[in-house]
Amino acid sequence: MQNSLAHSTDDPILQWVTFRLDNETYGVNVMQVQEVLRYSEIAPVPGAPSYVLGIINLRGNVVTVIDTRQHFGLPPAEVDDNTRVVIIEVDKQVVGILVDSVAEVVYLRQSEIETAPNVGNADAAKFIQGVCNKNGELLILVELEKMMSEEEWSELDTL
Amino acid sequence: MSKDTQHAALQGYLDALLTDAVPEPRLATEPVAFLEVPEVAFSLPPMALREPLISEAQINQLPVSVSILAEQHDSVVSPSVVGATAPELTKSSWADSAFECLLFDVAGLTLAVPLVALGSIYTFEANELTPLFAQPDWFIGILPAQKTNLKVLETARWVMPERYTADMRHDLKYVISINGYDWGLAVHHVRNSIRLQPSDVKWRTQRGKRPWLAGTVIEHMCALLDVEVLAQLITGKNTSHNTA
Repeated sequence: MQNSLAHSTDDPILQWVTFRLDNETYGVNVMQVQEVLRYSEIAPVPGAPSYVLGIINLRGNVVTVIDTRQHFGLPPAEVDDNTRVVIIEVDKQVVGILVDSVAEVVYLRQSEIETAPNVGNADAAKFIQGVCNKNGELLILVELEKMMSEEEWSELDTL
Repeated sequence: MSKDTQHAALQGYLDALLTDAVPEPRLATEPVAFLEVPEVAFSLPPMALREPLISEAQINQLPVSVSILAEQHDSVVSPSVVGATAPELTKSSWADSAFECLLFDVAGLTLAVPLVALGSIYTFEANELTPLFAQPDWFIGILPAQKTNLKVLETARWVMPERYTADMRHDLKYVISINGYDWGLAVHHVRNSIRLQPSDVKWRTQRGKRPWLAGTVIEHMCALLDVEVLAQLITGKNTSHNTA
Protein backbone atom coordinates (compact mmCIF):
# COMPACT_ATOMS: atom_id res chain seq x y z
CA MET A 1 0.00 0.00 0.00
CA GLN A 2 1.19 3.40 -0.86
CA ASN A 3 1.27 5.48 2.25
CA SER A 4 2.43 8.76 0.92
CA LEU A 5 0.34 9.82 -2.01
CA ALA A 6 1.64 13.29 -2.35
CA HIS A 7 5.26 13.64 -3.21
CA SER A 8 5.56 17.01 -1.67
CA THR A 9 8.11 16.58 1.04
CA ASP A 10 6.70 19.61 2.77
CA ASP A 11 3.20 18.36 3.32
CA PRO A 12 2.75 14.67 2.54
CA ILE A 13 -0.64 13.01 2.51
CA LEU A 14 -0.86 10.02 4.82
CA GLN A 15 -3.44 7.27 5.02
CA TRP A 16 -4.96 6.32 8.32
CA VAL A 17 -7.18 3.41 9.26
CA THR A 18 -9.84 4.68 11.61
CA PHE A 19 -11.60 2.72 14.30
CA ARG A 20 -14.04 3.46 17.09
CA LEU A 21 -13.50 3.12 20.81
CA ASP A 22 -15.94 4.39 23.40
CA ASN A 23 -17.75 6.60 20.85
CA GLU A 24 -14.59 8.32 19.68
CA THR A 25 -12.74 7.82 16.43
CA TYR A 26 -9.07 6.89 16.40
CA GLY A 27 -6.62 6.55 13.56
CA VAL A 28 -3.52 4.45 13.05
CA ASN A 29 -1.04 4.62 10.21
CA VAL A 30 -2.24 2.35 7.43
CA MET A 31 1.30 1.10 6.80
CA GLN A 32 1.24 -0.58 10.19
CA VAL A 33 -2.05 -2.37 9.64
CA GLN A 34 -1.80 -5.86 8.20
CA GLU A 35 -5.44 -6.85 8.26
CA VAL A 36 -8.71 -6.50 10.10
CA LEU A 37 -10.45 -9.57 11.54
CA ARG A 38 -13.91 -10.20 12.85
CA TYR A 39 -13.95 -11.07 16.50
CA SER A 40 -13.34 -14.75 17.12
CA GLU A 41 -12.58 -16.74 20.18
CA ILE A 42 -9.56 -15.37 21.99
CA ALA A 43 -7.77 -17.92 24.14
CA PRO A 44 -6.78 -16.44 27.49
CA VAL A 45 -3.19 -16.78 28.59
CA PRO A 46 -2.67 -17.52 32.29
CA GLY A 47 -0.28 -15.09 33.90
CA ALA A 48 -0.45 -12.59 31.07
CA PRO A 49 -0.52 -8.85 31.84
CA SER A 50 -3.97 -7.39 32.40
CA TYR A 51 -3.93 -5.53 29.08
CA VAL A 52 -3.56 -8.83 27.19
CA LEU A 53 -6.85 -10.46 26.27
CA GLY A 54 -5.22 -13.60 25.00
CA ILE A 55 -4.04 -15.17 21.78
CA ILE A 56 -5.57 -16.11 18.45
CA ASN A 57 -4.44 -18.47 15.75
CA LEU A 58 -3.93 -16.48 12.58
CA ARG A 59 -3.28 -18.96 9.79
CA GLY A 60 -0.93 -20.96 11.94
CA ASN A 61 0.70 -17.99 13.64
CA VAL A 62 -0.02 -17.13 17.24
CA VAL A 63 -0.96 -13.48 17.64
CA THR A 64 -1.41 -11.74 20.97
CA VAL A 65 -4.51 -9.57 21.26
CA ILE A 66 -4.39 -6.39 23.34
CA ASP A 67 -7.37 -5.06 25.27
CA THR A 68 -7.17 -1.59 23.76
CA ARG A 69 -9.83 -0.08 25.98
CA GLN A 70 -8.03 -1.24 29.09
CA HIS A 71 -4.67 -0.08 27.76
CA PHE A 72 -6.07 3.38 27.00
CA GLY A 73 -7.80 3.61 30.37
CA LEU A 74 -11.29 3.44 28.87
CA PRO A 75 -14.23 1.58 30.39
CA PRO A 76 -14.80 -2.00 29.22
CA ALA A 77 -17.49 -2.87 26.69
CA GLU A 78 -19.29 -5.97 25.50
CA VAL A 79 -18.18 -7.63 22.29
CA ASP A 80 -20.76 -7.28 19.51
CA ASP A 81 -21.07 -7.80 15.77
CA ASN A 82 -19.02 -4.71 15.03
CA THR A 83 -16.08 -5.69 17.22
CA ARG A 84 -12.89 -6.16 15.26
CA VAL A 85 -9.30 -7.21 15.84
CA VAL A 86 -6.90 -4.98 13.95
CA ILE A 87 -3.66 -6.80 13.24
CA ILE A 88 -0.79 -4.37 13.38
CA GLU A 89 2.94 -4.67 12.93
CA VAL A 90 5.24 -2.49 14.95
CA ASP A 91 8.99 -2.97 14.86
CA LYS A 92 8.54 -6.39 13.27
CA GLN A 93 6.27 -7.51 16.08
CA VAL A 94 2.72 -8.45 15.19
CA VAL A 95 -0.13 -7.96 17.64
CA GLY A 96 -3.86 -7.56 17.46
CA ILE A 97 -5.73 -4.68 19.03
CA LEU A 98 -9.38 -5.13 19.91
CA VAL A 99 -11.56 -2.20 18.83
CA ASP A 100 -15.29 -1.47 18.91
CA SER A 101 -15.46 -1.21 15.13
CA VAL A 102 -13.38 -0.26 12.14
CA ALA A 103 -14.59 2.72 10.18
CA GLU A 104 -12.64 3.61 7.03
CA VAL A 105 -9.37 4.72 5.57
CA VAL A 106 -8.89 8.47 5.49
CA TYR A 107 -6.33 10.69 3.84
CA LEU A 108 -4.79 13.42 5.94
CA ARG A 109 -2.26 16.03 5.11
CA GLN A 110 0.54 16.26 7.59
CA SER A 111 -0.30 19.92 8.05
CA GLU A 112 -3.85 19.02 9.09
CA ILE A 113 -2.62 17.16 12.13
CA GLU A 114 -2.55 19.20 15.29
CA THR A 115 -0.61 18.32 18.34
CA ALA A 116 -2.60 16.98 21.24
CA PRO A 117 -2.59 18.80 24.58
CA ASN A 118 0.56 17.88 26.36
CA VAL A 119 -0.80 17.86 29.87
CA GLY A 120 -1.50 14.23 30.65
CA ASN A 121 0.93 12.62 33.01
CA ALA A 122 -0.46 9.14 32.59
CA ASP A 123 1.65 6.75 30.52
CA ALA A 124 -1.17 6.31 28.03
CA ALA A 125 -1.12 10.01 27.17
CA LYS A 126 2.00 9.55 25.10
CA PHE A 127 0.15 7.24 22.69
CA ILE A 128 -1.65 10.25 21.25
CA GLN A 129 0.25 11.50 18.23
CA GLY A 130 -2.17 14.30 17.43
CA VAL A 131 -5.70 15.18 16.47
CA CYS A 132 -7.31 16.15 13.20
CA ASN A 133 -10.71 17.40 12.05
CA LYS A 134 -12.13 15.17 9.34
CA ASN A 135 -15.67 15.00 8.01
CA GLY A 136 -16.99 17.03 10.88
CA GLU A 137 -15.46 15.00 13.63
CA LEU A 138 -12.22 14.89 15.49
CA LEU A 139 -9.83 12.03 14.84
CA ILE A 140 -7.43 11.02 17.56
CA LEU A 141 -4.27 9.70 15.94
CA VAL A 142 -2.46 6.97 17.81
CA GLU A 143 1.27 6.44 17.66
CA LEU A 144 1.54 2.68 17.72
CA GLU A 145 5.29 2.71 18.37
CA LYS A 146 4.60 4.27 21.74
CA MET A 147 1.64 2.10 22.57
CA MET A 148 3.86 -0.47 24.19
CA SER A 149 7.05 0.03 26.13
CA GLU A 150 10.10 -2.12 25.50
CA GLU A 151 9.31 -4.03 28.67
CA GLU A 152 5.78 -4.68 27.47
CA TRP A 153 6.99 -5.90 24.08
CA SER A 154 9.37 -8.23 25.89
CA GLU A 155 6.51 -9.47 28.04
CA LEU A 156 4.46 -10.22 24.95
CA ASP A 157 7.37 -12.10 23.42
CA THR A 158 7.44 -14.48 26.33
CA LEU A 159 3.74 -15.36 26.19
CA MET B 1 -25.01 19.83 47.41
CA SER B 2 -27.72 21.98 48.99
CA LYS B 3 -27.99 25.63 48.03
CA ASP B 4 -27.12 26.72 51.55
CA THR B 5 -24.07 24.53 51.67
CA GLN B 6 -22.94 25.66 48.25
CA HIS B 7 -23.53 29.28 49.14
CA ALA B 8 -21.58 28.90 52.38
CA ALA B 9 -18.73 27.21 50.53
CA LEU B 10 -18.60 29.93 47.92
CA GLN B 11 -18.84 32.67 50.49
CA GLY B 12 -15.97 31.10 52.40
CA TYR B 13 -13.95 30.85 49.25
CA LEU B 14 -14.58 34.45 48.29
CA ASP B 15 -13.69 35.50 51.82
CA ALA B 16 -10.43 33.65 51.41
CA LEU B 17 -9.79 35.43 48.15
CA LEU B 18 -10.52 38.77 49.74
CA THR B 19 -8.24 37.95 52.62
CA ASP B 20 -5.49 37.16 50.16
CA ALA B 21 -5.86 40.52 48.52
CA VAL B 22 -4.23 43.59 49.96
CA PRO B 23 -6.00 46.93 50.17
CA GLU B 24 -3.59 49.16 48.29
CA PRO B 25 -3.04 48.72 44.59
CA ARG B 26 0.51 48.65 43.37
CA LEU B 27 0.62 50.61 40.20
CA ALA B 28 3.28 50.94 37.64
CA THR B 29 4.42 54.43 36.92
CA GLU B 30 4.47 53.95 33.18
CA PRO B 31 1.74 52.01 31.39
CA VAL B 32 3.07 49.80 28.67
CA ALA B 33 -0.11 49.91 26.62
CA PHE B 34 -3.12 52.12 26.54
CA LEU B 35 -6.42 51.62 24.75
CA GLU B 36 -9.96 52.96 25.26
CA VAL B 37 -13.14 50.93 25.66
CA PRO B 38 -16.82 51.80 26.03
CA GLU B 39 -19.30 49.87 28.16
CA VAL B 40 -20.32 46.70 26.42
CA ALA B 41 -23.33 44.55 27.18
CA PHE B 42 -23.25 41.02 25.88
CA SER B 43 -26.38 39.21 24.83
CA LEU B 44 -25.95 35.53 24.23
CA PRO B 45 -28.42 34.08 21.76
CA PRO B 46 -28.09 30.36 21.05
CA MET B 47 -25.88 29.82 18.03
CA ALA B 48 -24.43 26.92 16.19
CA LEU B 49 -21.37 25.36 17.70
CA ARG B 50 -18.03 26.44 16.33
CA GLU B 51 -19.46 29.89 15.70
CA PRO B 52 -18.19 32.10 18.46
CA LEU B 53 -20.89 34.06 20.20
CA ILE B 54 -18.42 36.86 20.48
CA SER B 55 -15.43 36.64 18.24
CA GLU B 56 -11.91 37.70 18.91
CA ALA B 57 -12.20 40.18 16.04
CA GLN B 58 -15.26 41.78 17.62
CA ILE B 59 -13.48 42.03 20.90
CA ASN B 60 -10.38 43.40 19.25
CA GLN B 61 -12.42 46.05 17.48
CA LEU B 62 -13.52 47.46 20.79
CA PRO B 63 -11.46 50.42 21.84
CA VAL B 64 -10.29 48.94 25.07
CA SER B 65 -8.89 50.95 27.88
CA VAL B 66 -6.26 48.92 29.55
CA SER B 67 -2.96 49.61 31.02
CA ILE B 68 -0.48 46.86 31.29
CA LEU B 69 2.14 47.23 33.88
CA ALA B 70 5.11 45.18 34.68
CA GLU B 71 4.94 44.39 38.34
CA GLN B 72 7.36 42.16 40.14
CA HIS B 73 5.76 39.40 42.18
CA ASP B 74 7.19 36.92 44.59
CA SER B 75 6.79 33.50 43.15
CA VAL B 76 5.68 31.55 46.17
CA VAL B 77 3.95 28.47 44.87
CA SER B 78 0.65 27.51 46.44
CA PRO B 79 -0.26 23.98 47.55
CA SER B 80 -2.58 23.81 44.60
CA VAL B 81 0.28 24.26 42.19
CA VAL B 82 2.98 22.37 44.02
CA GLY B 83 5.10 20.57 41.52
CA ALA B 84 3.96 22.84 38.76
CA THR B 85 6.17 24.77 36.47
CA ALA B 86 5.42 28.10 38.07
CA PRO B 87 5.20 30.95 35.62
CA GLU B 88 7.47 33.91 35.90
CA LEU B 89 5.37 36.30 37.91
CA THR B 90 6.93 39.34 36.41
CA LYS B 91 3.99 39.50 34.03
CA SER B 92 1.61 42.31 33.43
CA SER B 93 -1.48 43.14 35.45
CA TRP B 94 -4.19 45.62 34.63
CA ALA B 95 -4.17 48.72 36.72
CA ASP B 96 -3.05 52.10 35.63
CA SER B 97 -6.36 53.37 34.29
CA ALA B 98 -9.92 52.16 33.82
CA PHE B 99 -10.33 48.85 32.05
CA GLU B 100 -13.15 46.60 30.88
CA CYS B 101 -13.81 43.16 32.25
CA LEU B 102 -16.22 40.42 31.34
CA LEU B 103 -18.02 38.80 34.26
CA PHE B 104 -18.83 35.12 34.22
CA ASP B 105 -19.86 32.50 36.73
CA VAL B 106 -18.24 29.21 37.56
CA ALA B 107 -20.14 27.07 40.06
CA GLY B 108 -21.67 30.17 41.59
CA LEU B 109 -18.41 32.06 41.88
CA THR B 110 -18.20 35.22 39.82
CA LEU B 111 -14.97 35.73 37.97
CA ALA B 112 -13.81 38.68 35.93
CA VAL B 113 -11.42 38.62 33.04
CA PRO B 114 -10.01 41.69 31.27
CA LEU B 115 -11.37 41.98 27.73
CA VAL B 116 -7.88 42.21 26.31
CA ALA B 117 -7.24 38.69 27.52
CA LEU B 118 -10.36 37.27 25.86
CA GLY B 119 -10.42 35.33 22.65
CA SER B 120 -13.97 34.28 21.74
CA ILE B 121 -16.99 32.85 23.49
CA TYR B 122 -18.53 29.59 22.28
CA THR B 123 -21.51 27.58 23.39
CA PHE B 124 -20.61 24.50 25.36
CA GLU B 125 -22.09 21.34 23.93
CA ALA B 126 -20.81 18.28 25.72
CA ASN B 127 -21.54 16.04 22.76
CA GLU B 128 -19.39 18.24 20.54
CA LEU B 129 -16.35 17.83 22.74
CA THR B 130 -13.93 15.02 22.06
CA PRO B 131 -12.41 13.64 25.24
CA LEU B 132 -8.91 12.26 25.14
CA PHE B 133 -7.83 9.32 27.21
CA ALA B 134 -5.14 9.63 29.88
CA GLN B 135 -5.62 13.33 30.46
CA PRO B 136 -5.94 15.17 33.78
CA ASP B 137 -9.39 15.42 35.33
CA TRP B 138 -9.58 19.13 34.60
CA PHE B 139 -9.23 18.50 30.87
CA ILE B 140 -12.76 18.12 29.49
CA GLY B 141 -11.99 17.64 25.83
CA ILE B 142 -11.33 19.25 22.48
CA LEU B 143 -13.89 21.58 20.95
CA PRO B 144 -13.57 22.19 17.20
CA ALA B 145 -13.72 25.94 16.80
CA GLN B 146 -13.43 28.25 13.84
CA LYS B 147 -9.69 28.70 13.77
CA THR B 148 -8.41 25.89 15.90
CA ASN B 149 -9.29 23.01 18.12
CA LEU B 150 -9.88 24.48 21.54
CA LYS B 151 -8.66 22.49 24.48
CA VAL B 152 -11.31 22.99 27.10
CA LEU B 153 -10.58 22.90 30.79
CA GLU B 154 -12.89 22.75 33.75
CA THR B 155 -12.38 26.14 35.33
CA ALA B 156 -13.74 25.16 38.74
CA ARG B 157 -10.99 22.57 39.21
CA TRP B 158 -8.42 25.30 38.74
CA VAL B 159 -9.89 28.13 40.72
CA MET B 160 -11.40 26.18 43.59
CA PRO B 161 -9.84 22.71 43.63
CA GLU B 162 -10.21 22.42 47.39
CA ARG B 163 -13.97 23.01 47.11
CA TYR B 164 -14.59 21.12 43.93
CA THR B 165 -17.51 18.72 43.78
CA ALA B 166 -18.59 16.57 40.86
CA ASP B 167 -21.84 18.46 40.35
CA MET B 168 -19.84 21.54 39.35
CA ARG B 169 -19.37 19.86 36.00
CA HIS B 170 -23.08 19.99 35.27
CA ASP B 171 -24.77 22.69 33.25
CA LEU B 172 -21.65 24.21 31.76
CA LYS B 173 -22.89 26.52 29.03
CA TYR B 174 -20.03 28.48 27.53
CA VAL B 175 -16.39 28.21 26.66
CA ILE B 176 -14.29 31.35 26.86
CA SER B 177 -11.14 31.10 24.84
CA ILE B 178 -7.98 32.80 25.96
CA ASN B 179 -6.44 35.28 23.57
CA GLY B 180 -3.27 33.88 22.08
CA TYR B 181 -3.79 30.35 23.37
CA ASP B 182 -5.75 27.37 22.12
CA TRP B 183 -7.23 26.81 25.55
CA GLY B 184 -10.74 27.63 26.67
CA LEU B 185 -12.41 27.98 30.06
CA ALA B 186 -15.70 26.13 30.53
CA VAL B 187 -18.08 28.30 32.53
CA HIS B 188 -21.69 28.16 33.70
CA HIS B 189 -22.87 31.66 32.84
CA VAL B 190 -21.57 34.67 31.01
CA ARG B 191 -22.89 37.93 32.38
CA ASN B 192 -21.98 41.42 31.23
CA SER B 193 -18.97 43.60 30.99
CA ILE B 194 -18.02 46.15 33.61
CA ARG B 195 -15.63 49.03 33.65
CA LEU B 196 -13.27 49.00 36.58
CA GLN B 197 -11.06 51.65 37.99
CA PRO B 198 -7.79 50.40 39.44
CA SER B 199 -8.99 51.55 42.83
CA ASP B 200 -11.99 49.21 42.54
CA VAL B 201 -9.69 46.24 42.77
CA LYS B 202 -7.92 44.85 45.77
CA TRP B 203 -4.74 43.89 44.03
CA ARG B 204 -2.63 41.03 45.17
CA THR B 205 1.00 41.78 45.59
CA GLN B 206 1.96 38.18 46.08
CA ARG B 207 0.63 35.42 43.88
CA GLY B 208 1.81 32.61 46.09
CA LYS B 209 -1.38 30.77 46.91
CA ARG B 210 -3.28 31.50 43.72
CA PRO B 211 -0.96 32.69 40.98
CA TRP B 212 -3.86 33.24 38.59
CA LEU B 213 -5.65 35.66 40.95
CA ALA B 214 -4.87 39.28 40.07
CA GLY B 215 -7.18 40.66 42.74
CA THR B 216 -10.73 40.90 43.96
CA VAL B 217 -13.52 43.38 43.32
CA ILE B 218 -15.66 43.76 46.40
CA GLU B 219 -18.38 45.78 44.69
CA HIS B 220 -19.08 42.90 42.34
CA MET B 221 -17.97 40.17 44.75
CA CYS B 222 -15.78 38.70 42.11
CA ALA B 223 -12.25 37.47 41.59
CA LEU B 224 -10.21 39.10 38.83
CA LEU B 225 -8.33 36.52 36.82
CA ASP B 226 -4.86 37.02 35.47
CA VAL B 227 -5.57 34.91 32.44
CA GLU B 228 -2.04 35.17 31.15
CA VAL B 229 -0.70 33.53 34.27
CA LEU B 230 -3.45 30.91 34.23
CA ALA B 231 -2.60 30.08 30.64
CA GLN B 232 1.04 29.78 31.58
CA LEU B 233 0.17 27.39 34.37
CA ILE B 234 -1.83 25.26 31.98
CA THR B 235 0.64 25.23 29.15
CA GLY B 236 3.53 24.87 31.54
CA LYS B 237 2.69 21.20 31.76
CA ASN B 238 1.21 21.69 35.16
CA THR B 239 0.01 18.26 36.15
CA SER B 240 -0.55 18.86 39.84
CA HIS B 241 -4.28 19.16 39.19
CA ASN B 242 -4.48 15.67 37.86
CA THR B 243 -6.41 13.89 40.52
CA ALA B 244 -7.06 10.83 38.40
